[in-house]
Amino acid sequence: MVVGSLKLWTNLVIEGFQKSLSIAKFLCLLHATNTYVCTPVTPYGPSMLPTLNLTGDLVLVERVSTWLGKVDRGDMVLLRSTEDPRKVVIKRIVGMEGDTVTYLVDPKNSDASRTCVVPRGNVWIQGDNIYNSRDSRTFGAVPYGLVEGKLFWRIWPLKSFGSLHEKAKEDS
Amino acid sequence: MNLFGNAVRWRSIAKEALDRTAIVAKFLCLLHVANTYICTPTLVYGPSMLPTLNLTGDVLLAERVSHRLGKVGPGDVVLVRSPVDPRKSLTKRVVAMAGDKVTFVVDPRNSDRVRTIVVPRGHVWIQGDNIYASSDSRQFGPVPYGLIEGKILCRVWPLDGFGSLNH
Repeated sequence: MVVGSLKLWTNLVIEGFQKSLSIAKFLCLLHATNTYVCTPVTPYGPSMLPTLNLTGDLVLVERVSTWLGKVDRGDMVLLRSTEDPRKVVIKRIVGMEGDTVTYLVDPKNSDASRTCVVPRGNVWIQGDNIYNSRDSRTFGAVPYGLVEGKLFWRIWPLKSFGSLHEKAKEDS
Repeated sequence: MNLFGNAVRWRSIAKEALDRTAIVAKFLCLLHVANTYICTPTLVYGPSMLPTLNLTGDVLLAERVSHRLGKVGPGDVVLVRSPVDPRKSLTKRVVAMAGDKVTFVVDPRNSDRVRTIVVPRGHVWIQGDNIYASSDSRQFGPVPYGLIEGKILCRVWPLDGFGSLNH
């Protein structure tokens, strides 16, 4: 009787092990896809209004362009924060290395503007909502090595479902 | 009859080739995961870390766990993505962490002038051990912590320098 239940236990353990192995393989594949191909992101915060909502958006970030270097002005990118390396932020690239960038220093309080050149290997990032965004106007140009992905598609809310690339302005 | 036999043989050869390729692919995946998340060997060369590291190339073991846990501190030799050329990785020593005041000789070859800077939040100050021939934070400023890719554990090659870097 004891031998019978021992065999039952062994079978259960083997079956459990096999199931967890296939779950582990699936999770590994998911992680590899998220890190090297494409990943969904839920951004929050006011710095990219009106492009991205305060909360509740679901966007897709692709990781291939950054690796190939095909990131340019006007792209919305995911990058690691220079102020807290545990956080990841979304901003728009306004200038690439070598560009001359003119920006409003503090648009809430004054019209003062400043001009500077983006150093080699760096990018100049700004939030679309310049009244409420901590970006390169505060902490300067950011090394390209911190850029982790490019936003290309919004999934939620459904009324804004579609590509996030800026369309060329048409003559009206 | 001959054609049918050939087709069967080709199918079994193709199946065997596919199985072997799958094993090699699984091994390469495992190697890649170990290199990215646990530990990787790197070849470093250049004069900026003399006398700690040789001019013509050392193979070092870099571990990739500490920087994710925040356990990188002053005195550690780290692998850092270059803030000036994102395709290159540098090997330098961390001299100061965020919030520290760092005093450094701006251009030791030509003058004795020193400067003192406070390292901003989220950044580290890196310098090569050979300050006469090193392009580091003295030139391009403090480096965001997010660019750190790993911490050097020990030297693997050449064999007479095998072991911890502090010999």
